[in-house]
Amino acid sequence: MKRYDLIIVGAGPSGLSAAIEAAKRGMNVIVFDENERPGGQLFKQIHKFFGSKEHKAKVRGFVIGKQLLDEAAETGVKVILNATVIGLYQDKEIVVKIGEAVEHYKGNSIIIATGAAENMVTFPGWTLPGVIGAGAAQTMMNIHGVKPGSKILMLGSGNVGLVVGFQLLQCGCEIAALVDAAPRIGGYGVHAAKLARTGVPFYLSHTIVEAEGDACVTGVTIAEIDSSFNFIPGTEKHFDVDTICMAVGLSPMSQLLKMAGCKMEDNPKRGGQVPICDEYGRTSIPGIFVAGDVSGIEEASSAMIEGRMAGIAAAEYLGYIDENELNKELASLDKALSGLRQGMFAPENRGRLIEKTDEGIAVSDSLLKKGYVADDEIERFPGFTHTKGIHPVMECTQNIPCNPCQDACPKGCIKIGKDITALPAVDDSVSCIGCGMCVASCSGQAIFLVDETYEEGYASITMPYEFFPLPEIGIKGKALGRDGQIVCEAEVINVKSLPAFDKTNLLTIKVPVEYASKARFFKAE
Amino acid sequence: METRIENHPILGDTKKGKPVTFTYNDMEVQGYEGEPIAAALKAAGIMVHRYTKKEHKPRGIFCAIGRCTDCVMVVDGKPNIRTCVTPLKQGMKVQTQYGVSADTFDKQQRGV
Repeated sequence: MKRYDLIIVGAGPSGLSAAIEAAKRGMNVIVFDENERPGGQLFKQIHKFFGSKEHKAKVRGFVIGKQLLDEAAETGVKVILNATVIGLYQDKEIVVKIGEAVEHYKGNSIIIATGAAENMVTFPGWTLPGVIGAGAAQTMMNIHGVKPGSKILMLGSGNVGLVVGFQLLQCGCEIAALVDAAPRIGGYGVHAAKLARTGVPFYLSHTIVEAEGDACVTGVTIAEIDSSFNFIPGTEKHFDVDTICMAVGLSPMSQLLKMAGCKMEDNPKRGGQVPICDEYGRTSIPGIFVAGDVSGIEEASSAMIEGRMAGIAAAEYLGYIDENELNKELASLDKALSGLRQGMFAPENRGRLIEKTDEGIAVSDSLLKKGYVADDEIERFPGFTHTKGIHPVMECTQNIPCNPCQDACPKGCIKIGKDITALPAVDDSVSCIGCGMCVASCSGQAIFLVDETYEEGYASITMPYEFFPLPEIGIKGKALGRDGQIVCEAEVINVKSLPAFDKTNLLTIKVPVEYASKARFFKAE
Repeated sequence: METRIENHPILGDTKKGKPVTFTYNDMEVQGYEGEPIAAALKAAGIMVHRYTKKEHKPRGIFCAIGRCTDCVMVVDGKPNIRTCVTPLKQGMKVQTQYGVSADTFDKQQRGV
C-alpha cells in the first residue's frame, strides 16, 4: 500500500488549488480524478469570470483551468486520471479503481474535493433522448464541439441556466424559452439581460407539463403554476423543440465523507447533505478536509480559494508549517473569499427577495421577472448617464461581487470603490476616450458606449458582441431593445476585435438619436 | 455534419483527432478519433442509444460525463459501455442496446 502526505480526491478547481498549496510547502501529494482530463468543470466555462483581480475576474474559465494545470505541473503535483475513488475508510485509507484494478492508498491527510452533481426534475417524457442536463450541453458544445440540439428549451434561471443558455446561442443553437418554476430569476441579472436582449423569452412561475415525442423529444408543453406549484389550467404553452436542457441546481457529492464517518448535516443553504466543517474545511475527523462544492454549492472562484485554504490547513496539520504561518496565509485568503460572498447573491441571501440595492435604489422588477431592466427603470441606476460625446453606460443594477470595469478604464472614469459589490458609477469630470476597454472587461456584458452626438440626428452605440458571424461595417439591420424586440433600423459603423478584448468584439451601430437609450443589440437583415 | 461546431466565437476551431469510420448497427458512420462515441453519434444525428429492459423505453445522452449510464450501448460486443466517456477508435462496432443485449427484444424472446 502506497502512502502519501496528502491524498486529494478530485482534480477540479478546488482539488488542484489545494494540491498546489500543499506541494509548495513540501508535501508529497497525489490527486485522483475519475475523469479522462483534469480541471473539473472549468474547461467547459467559456465566459469571463466575475470578482476582482485576485479572483481572476474577466478571465475566461477555461483559461483559468489552463493556468491551474500549469501551476500544478510546476509544483510537481501528481494527478492520476481515470481513477475513481470508491471508498474512504478508517485511518485515512482510500480504495481507488484504476482501469480494472482496485488499489489501496493511505494518506496522512485527505482532502475531499469531489464537487457536485446536477439535480433533475421529473415530468412525463423526461427520460426521452433529447432531455439533457445543462452540464451535458456544456460538455458537448464546449469540449467536444458538437451542438447539443438546434431548438432548445432551458429549464432553470440560476446562473448555470443563464450562462449555459448564452453559450448555446454562441454555438448557433436557438433558445425557444427559458423557464423557471420560481417567481423570480435566480441568477445574476446581467446574465439574464444578455439572453433577453437577443430575444429569448423568459417564463417565470412556469414549469414543464410534459415532453413530447416517441423516440426522442419533438416538443414540450409548459404551464404557469400557482404558489403551491399546481398548474393553472388554460396557461399551457407549446414549443417545437428537439432538446430540453435542465439547469435545476446542484447537490454536493459528499458520499465519501459520510462513508468515512464525518459528521454530516442536511443544509439546504449549502445544497443538501454536507459535512460539518469549519471555514478552512476541517471536518469532524482530524486530518480529513473538504473544499469546493462538496461542502456547499458556490462557484469555481470560491472553490479555488477554499482549495488553497484546505491545502494550507493540511500542511499545518502535518507540521509542514506552524500556526503563525497558517494564520498569516489564511488571513489574505479569508479576505479574498469574503469579497466573493458579499452582495445580493451572498450565500446567506439565498432565496431572499431583496427590494433595494445597497445604495437604496429599488431593484428592477422587470429584471427579476422578464430578464431585462425596463426602459423606465434603467435611468435610476448610477451607471446610466447622459453626457455630451462618447461615454460609458453601465447597466449593472445589482450588488454583485465584480469590479474589472473600474481597473479597465485607462482614464479612471468608472468608480466602484472599495466595496466590490457597489454599483459602478461614472465620473463625469473625466472624459471618456472611447477605447472600449470597459465594454470588453465587463463579464456581465452590461457596459455600452453611447454617443448621443455622433452625427446630426444619430447616436452611436457600442456593444459587446460574442457571436458568429461577426457583422461587417456597413451592414444594415435592426436594433433590438433590452427586451429583444425591434426598436429601429440600425447600421454597423465599426467592428473592433483586439487581443486585449479577449474575444469580446465591440460592435458599433448607428441609430436615430431618440433610440440611444433603448437600442442594445443588433440583428443583421 | 451540421451539428459540428466548425468555428466558435470564443473557442475558435475545435481541435479534432484524425477522421475515423466506425459502424453503428451495421451502418458506416464517420467520427474523429478520441472523441467520445456519443459525440460522434450525436453529430451524425443518432439520438437513441438503448431501450430499457422492462418497458422498452428509449434512452440517449443525458449527463454526458459518465455518471448516469443512460447512454450505454454494446461496443465491440461488450454491453453497458458508457458511450459518453469511451473514446472512439477506427473500426469500432457500436450497437443499440436492448436491455443488456444487442439482440432486439423480438429476437431475445424467440430465444435465438
